[in-house]
Order: sequence, then structure tokens, then C-alpha cells
Amino acid sequence: MKDWFLILRWSWRDLRKYWVKVIAIALVIGIGTGAYAGLTSTANWRRDSNVASMELLNMYDVRFELATDSSVPVGELAAAASGIEHAGWIEGTVERLIRPTQVDASTGTETVLVPGEIVGVDVTNGGPAINGWHTATGDGLTVADAGQPVVLLEEGFAFHNDLAKSGMITVSGGVELEYKNTAMTPESFIVVPENTTSFAQGTYAGVFTSLETAQRLTGFDGGVNDLILTVGAEADRDVVATEVKNAISDLGVGVNTILREDDPSYRLLFEDVENDQEFFNIFALLIFVGAVMGAFNLITRLSEAQRREIGIAMALGVAPRKIALRPLLVGAQIALLGVVFGVGVGLLIGNLMRSVLDTFLILPVWLTDFQWSLFFWVAVVGFVVPFAAAAYPVWRAVRVKPIEAIRTGHLAARGGGLAPVIKRLRLPGDTFAQLPFRNLLRAPRRAVLTALGIAAIMAVLVGFLGAIDSFLGALDRGTAMVEGSSPNRMVVSLETVLPSDHPAVAAIEEAESVEFAVPVLQIGARADGVEELDLLVEVLDLSNDMWQPALTAGSLESGVDGLILAEVAADDLGVEVGDSLSVTVPVRSGDSSFRFVEADLIVAGLHKSPIRFNAYMDDAALSLLGADGLANVVYANPGPGFTSGDVQRELFSLEAVGSVQKATATADDLDDLMAQFVGILQAVAFFVLLLAVLMAFNSASISFEERQREHATMFAYGVRVRKALRMAVIENLTIGIVATVIGFGGGLWMLWWVVNITAAETMPEIGLLVELSPATLVTVIVLGVAAVALAPLFTARRMRRMDLPGTLRVME
Amino acid sequence: MIELLNVSKRFGDGVPIVALADVDLKVEAGEFVVVLGPSGSGKTTLLNMVGALDNPSEGTIIVDGVDISNATRRQLFDFRRNTVSFIFQSFNIFPGLTAAENVQFGADAAGRGDEVNPAEILAAVGLGDRVDQFPHELSGGEQQRVAIARALATGNPVMLADEPTGELDFVTGVQILELLQKQAADGRAVLVVTHNREISRVADRVVELSSGRIVSDGPPVGGKASLSELHW
Repeated sequence: MKDWFLILRWSWRDLRKYWVKVIAIALVIGIGTGAYAGLTSTANWRRDSNVASMELLNMYDVRFELATDSSVPVGELAAAASGIEHAGWIEGTVERLIRPTQVDASTGTETVLVPGEIVGVDVTNGGPAINGWHTATGDGLTVADAGQPVVLLEEGFAFHNDLAKSGMITVSGGVELEYKNTAMTPESFIVVPENTTSFAQGTYAGVFTSLETAQRLTGFDGGVNDLILTVGAEADRDVVATEVKNAISDLGVGVNTILREDDPSYRLLFEDVENDQEFFNIFALLIFVGAVMGAFNLITRLSEAQRREIGIAMALGVAPRKIALRPLLVGAQIALLGVVFGVGVGLLIGNLMRSVLDTFLILPVWLTDFQWSLFFWVAVVGFVVPFAAAAYPVWRAVRVKPIEAIRTGHLAARGGGLAPVIKRLRLPGDTFAQLPFRNLLRAPRRAVLTALGIAAIMAVLVGFLGAIDSFLGALDRGTAMVEGSSPNRMVVSLETVLPSDHPAVAAIEEAESVEFAVPVLQIGARADGVEELDLLVEVLDLSNDMWQPALTAGSLESGVDGLILAEVAADDLGVEVGDSLSVTVPVRSGDSSFRFVEADLIVAGLHKSPIRFNAYMDDAALSLLGADGLANVVYANPGPGFTSGDVQRELFSLEAVGSVQKATATADDLDDLMAQFVGILQAVAFFVLLLAVLMAFNSASISFEERQREHATMFAYGVRVRKALRMAVIENLTIGIVATVIGFGGGLWMLWWVVNITAAETMPEIGLLVELSPATLVTVIVLGVAAVALAPLFTARRMRRMDLPGTLRVME
Repeated sequence: MIELLNVSKRFGDGVPIVALADVDLKVEAGEFVVVLGPSGSGKTTLLNMVGALDNPSEGTIIVDGVDISNATRRQLFDFRRNTVSFIFQSFNIFPGLTAAENVQFGADAAGRGDEVNPAEILAAVGLGDRVDQFPHELSGGEQQRVAIARALATGNPVMLADEPTGELDFVTGVQILELLQKQAADGRAVLVVTHNREISRVADRVVELSSGRIVSDGPPVGGKASLSELHW
């Protein structure tokens, strides 16, 4: 037993002796395991948080939405539901009145005029029992607020527009309302208005109020147009949905059924979990692999330094298993310390991820506990690999004859590795110029492992920063396209399709704050190419003086009788400029009715926006659609001396105007969101940088110890410390360059994969290009080459203080 | 060439260990001097101080007219580069360089890389056919000869050898001693430390150390022997 305690104490002394390297290697393991656990935890967090949030607010199982503009008296929808054959399966119902509106939430400094919706429910019990309203402070609406001009404002909208927790807003009709608080509800966890991307949290306002107030504001006195219900666990939901739908239809109104999983908010919440996680999984895995390779390499080298002692023990007849125990204990202790660090790093990265997720997604419940089960398996690998790294050289040492282990007491005294391969190849310069490269070739496995470890980290960095660049590049291209020659352009959405010469359109054109106005017909279409794509086609006079889409192929003149697509859309459809494309478009069949017809349109050009669904046609095509002279959108340019806020305020009060927004509003919103996303990527990039520096430092430090006698010999021959350092720097520089080139190649491949495979699958509506900014290139080169190359400078002090006689006298 | 005046060396704080005490020694150019003594006698300490790897606690050391006892760090580096060259018991040649490149290193370190032909020097130490071999492809004796060639390549006037035959067999050891004798004959001051009394028989002078003090200094007992008379 005494033996074992001695070995344990001895291993602790080893740890103390190498404590700087031990800590650094453990940190490498810690960052690898922690980053993996932190980055891959988001899927579980989001799933758990989504479910908990839905449960907290009791999201509906089935929703019944009456046809546009129709309603029934209060109580009829609930009665219809309660009259079905399987009414016993229904746990609860809530009748609602939901109507579109415009919301003016402008503050003293910001003009906020957006479309939105008023949602009215019975507030007798403080709010709806299904799809409840969650307020952070618990102050919702009470029965006393019924019929009063008091509402709750949707939390995400308020957050993205920096609105106070309470205040005043104005809705359609110029009615002022007090919002008592901000609130969340399951349908607004992700706001997805029609014909937009999914990021509309800041540009669409949910206004929650009592049923009485909603009825008064919308002119639907005594009416409701929406029913939501929940069913019991044993219920057949589809049967309930069918029976209730039939019952409502029997009331003489059209009804649309929406199941919970088809709700856009619910669907996107869960869909995005997997999509977003894919990105982080790739990076997490690479960081982990890089760290594991680095740790393996470093611990192997630490253990190899003990080969001579192993040889001595073998010569003394100590049993191999006992000999192996001490270096293995050291490896195990480093690995264990690494796992402990991993928990810390995991918690830190987890917190960062949580803070960004919190901003991205407005949920009432966030469950972001450390994912112990996930971490456990990562920790197992994080423990086993360094342990194996220690075991490998020990295993080799105990298998050779003792005399060989003693003779090869130091790595530096071993064979020439690949050096003989190039002995005929002399580099220019003296022997000091040859030595760094010879040293690398002398231990090729070590050099390759070191380079690959750093390369893996570089690849992650290139992939990470490149992904940021590519996202931001897409945003910039989109913004540049939207701004064009009219950067302050406003998009005025009309409440319905109107003739271009309608007084409401004329009023916009003649508004004091508007310089130019261009009527636009915005229609949905479906293109049928290699795959089917939904398009949002804007039909406008392409020769107008205000704004035209910027093209990357084709010409606006040829656009007169053709379709202008986004490049990514053309790619996905498999068409080029000049090709014919089958497109299903709505064609007017009466004053207010459309029928869908299939038409073959020529692809006249490609525009540079990354948004796939955006397409344009010249208004000459309106006759094809039977829509001559119709518009549902007006582009308006502020006149000299007028701001976009002036235009919003003036047009907001006009008849038939649904919303007035800057053309760049969506892009600005995306920019804000992307800033958060970039924040998290940058935070993780910091850990990646730290990892690379730690590995470079450790490698340099271990190299220094392996070469101590060589350095001592040099100093004995009068070689200065700075020359020895220069050689070490050149050696590391070579590793850094090789690692950076490999890492850069790997990173580019990873970026290509992320952009063209992952993003194309998970975000098909955005056409990303592989982009790397000069800042990224500089970061990678500075880190991969400069930081790695300069790492040996950390050993300068030890070189200067080297005990020359002692080092030179070491026997082999 | 080498002059030590009242040189002492103590190690440690508190109760110091005296490695050398009041040593006076002179070695002239062309002399082959062996410092003899058992382990712990201070012979390697003496060699290290002459080679400016260590500094004395007291006393003065002058080598080739340079007082290295109070020299700056920079001056010591210059001194080692231009005045002394070392041969170590464990050779300490660079495993990443070939025999010729190791020799070239010596010349480069002394700043005379362009003046030296490594192949010629290797031929002079009997390794003319091993020029492109790496250390691990050479025997121990061959490695030590490369180390001597490296020392020769520096062109420095003082050669310091620490147990140069310690890891070699008798025949190879004798060959190495022959090479060292030749360096002295060529005008260098050669200082060899060893515990092997037999080696001292071929020296011009034998300085015997015991507990850090010189206990004898003179020609070998029984007169200088030839290499063929040696045996161990």
C-alpha cells in the first residue's frame, strides 16, 4: 500500500513541477469540452424552454379562424364547440376578436408606425385561459379594464423598438390607448406576418385587450371571429377539429382550421431549434476535435519526457504496471482538471448563449440548466483522450528493452525522423537557418500533430468568422439593393388593392412630405422550375425615377416583358437569364376576385438581393394579369427637408394606408438581430483564440524542455539567447504557417459547407455567398502565424536563467 | 593562456558547499593538461569556470588575456564564441544536423562559417566517409569525433574537454586522446578533466584535485607515456 501512496505523491510532484503546462493543457481540454457542451446545449434548452413556455401559457391545440371580415355574435363559437358529439374531449375554449390595425408607438425620439393586430378576449379572469398573456411583472388586464382604452403591448415589439414597459399608443382611427404593460403570448413568440421573412418582431405590433375594447375599436360590436380550444390527453384532436369546423360552418361562415403544430410561431420555434443547432454543432465538434488533438499531442510529449525514468525502473525490475501507473496518474489528473475546467467554460459559454437566445427569442420561460448528461459524454472523451495520450508513450516505453529506454532518455537524442530525407537539400544560410527545419523534420509526428491541432482551431476560426462575414455580407447586399438610388424610400402598404388613380393613392402622391411616389402591385406567385418556389413579385414601372432593382445579369429594358429573380432563386429554379419559367400568378377575374393561371415568363434579369422570394416585373405585365392600373403598395420618397418620420406621420393618417415603413426596416431589424448573433460568435471566437494561444504556448514550452541540452550546447559555444529564440520562433512560424494554410483551407471548406449546404437547407430564403472580410483574414493570419510564432518568447526568461553546467552534464 | 588566481567557488546559501578553494593555475598555449580527481573534487567546476559557463565566488580568471571573472553576460557570450570550445562527455551534438553540419555549426557560432570546410575537418578526425551521416547513424566514438571536429571548427585557442572518453571503449578513447594531443601540438591550450588516472599519463601536466584544492601539479608520475602504453 505504501508503494501506491508513494506513486500518488510522486505524480503530484510531477504535476507541481509542470504546473504551468498542466494548467494550460487542462484549459485546452476544458475549452474543448466546455465549448462543446455549451454550444450544443442550445437545442435542449430551446426545446425545453419552448415546451415550458407553451405549457405556462396553455397554447391552443386547435384554432378556428373565421373568413376575412366575417364574425358571429359572442358565445356562438363556444356554443358550436360545446355542441359537437365529442364535446367531452374539449378541455376549454376561448373566443377572440382579432382584427388588423395600424399602431403608432412613436416616442419623443423615434417614429414607430407599424401594422399590427388587435386581439380581444374576455378579461373577467385576468386574461385568456388558453394562449394566455404573460407579463414580466404580473400586472395584466383585469375585469375593471373591460371596455376601457387600456391594452397590453406585445413584448417583442416593445423590446425591439426600445419602448417603455407602459405608455401610450395610437391605433387605426386615431384612437389613443394606454398600454399598461408588455406581454407575451404563444402566437407571438415568433411573429410571422404574411409575405415577410420570419424576423418581424419589431415591425408588427400585437395589441391585447378586452373583448369589449376590441369590439369598440374595430366596429365589430358584440362579435368574435376566432376560437381556440384545448383537448384532453385522451382526445382524438383531429376528430374534434373536424366536428368543430363543421359546427362553425353550420353557422354560415367560412372557417379555417389551424392545428397547433401548423401555427407559424410554434412551427418556426421548433423548426429553428434543429436548424440553428446544426451550425453550432459543426463548430462545437471542430473546437472539440482541435482541443483533443492538441491535448493528446501535448500530454504525449510530457509523458515521453519520462521514458528514461521508465527505463531505469524497468532496469530495477519494477513491474511494468507499476511503472506505468505514475505517468498514467499524471495524465488522468490533467484530464480530470480539464474536465473541471470544462464545466466552468461550459457554464460561461452557456451564459453567453443564453443571453443571446434571450434577445433572439422572447419566451416567458427559459430553461438553461447546464446539460450534465450531454457534458458527461463529452467529459468522458475529454478524459479518455488525454489519458490515452499519456498511456501511448508509456506503453511504448515499457515494451522496449530497459537499456533502450535509458539510452533514449530524451526525445532530442532520438533518430533523425524525416531529416535524412532532405539531407541533400540545403537551405540558404548558415546552420542556424537549417536547424529549425531539421528539428521539425526530426520529429515529424509531433510537428504534424501540433500543426493539425492548431489548424483545426484555425479552421474553426475561419469558419466562424467567415460565417459572420457571409451573413453580414448578405445583409449588406440586401440593404444596398433596397436602398439603391433612393436610400430613404418608404414603403406604403395599402389596406387593399386599389386603382392607381384612386384618391387614396393620389393623396399619398400629393402628400406634402412626399417628393415622388410609385404605385406597385405586390402579388404572390409560385414558380415551377427544378423545384417549386413561392415568390413575392413587385410589379412597378421599371423606368421610374425613384428606384429600380440592381441587377447582376440581364437588363431592365428586357425586364419589360419578363421576370427579374434573385440569383439564389434562379439557382434553385435551375434557370438563367433568357430561360422561360412557368409561373402561377393570380389573374383578376372580377372587380375583387382573382383566379390563378399558369403563364410562361421569360427570366429577364437577376437582381443582387439575397432574399430569394423577392422578384420584380415591369408594370407592362399588369395587362397579363388583368390588373392594369392596380396597386396595393406605394413607394414614396421623402421630399427635401422631410424625414422618413415626417412621411410616416403624414401618411399614417390617410385613408386606406395600412402601414408606412422605411424600405430598409426589415433589413435594419435583421441587422439588429444579427448583431446579437455576431456577439455570440465573437464570444466563442475568443475562446477559440485562447485555445490556439494555449496550444502554441504549451507546444513552445515543451519544445524548450525537449531541447534544453541543445540550447545549453549552443550557449556554451557562445550563441546568444536571442539567436536561439529566433530559431525557435522560425520553427514555430513554420508550424504556424502550415497550420494556418491547412486551417484556412479547412475553414474555407467548412464555410462553403455551412453556406452552401447547411444554410441552403435551413435558411433557403436567404442567398448567402462565401465571404471573408479583410478583418477576418488579418485575424487568422495574426493569430495563426504571429501568435504561434511568437509563443517561444514566453520561454526567453527560462533560457536566460538556464543552469548551463547542470544542463550540459545530464547523462544520456 | 589560462590563468586562475585564488579562485574559489561555493554553492548554496547558509552552510555553503565549497567546490573549489583558493585555486591557482596556469596553462600555456600548446599545453595538454589533465585535471584529475574523483567525483566531487571540483574538476568540472573548474572547467566550467574556465569556459565561462559559471563564475567564481572569489578570485580572478584570465583566459587569452581576458578577465572573465567580472565580465558582463554579453562579454561572456563573446568570450565563449571566440576563445573556448567545448567537448562534452555526452557529445551534445545536434541530432537534426549531419556530421558536416554539426561541424559547420561550430564555425558558424564562431563567426567563421565561410572559412571552414567541414569535410576537411571531419577527414582530419578520421570521419571523411561519414560526412553526411546523422548522429544516430554514428557510433559513440564517431559522435565524439564529430564533437571534437565541431570544437576545432571554431578555431578557438582553448579547448575544454569534460570526460571526453567517459562513454567510449578503450580503443576509441585512445583515438580521441590522440586527437586532443594533436590539438595541443598545434598550439592550442587543451584542458581535459577526468577521473581516469590512466589518461593523465599522456598529458604534459597533471593537476590533481581533492575536495576543491590542488593537491599536486606537475608532469605525470613516471613521466609522459605514449598512447600505445595506455590500458584501462
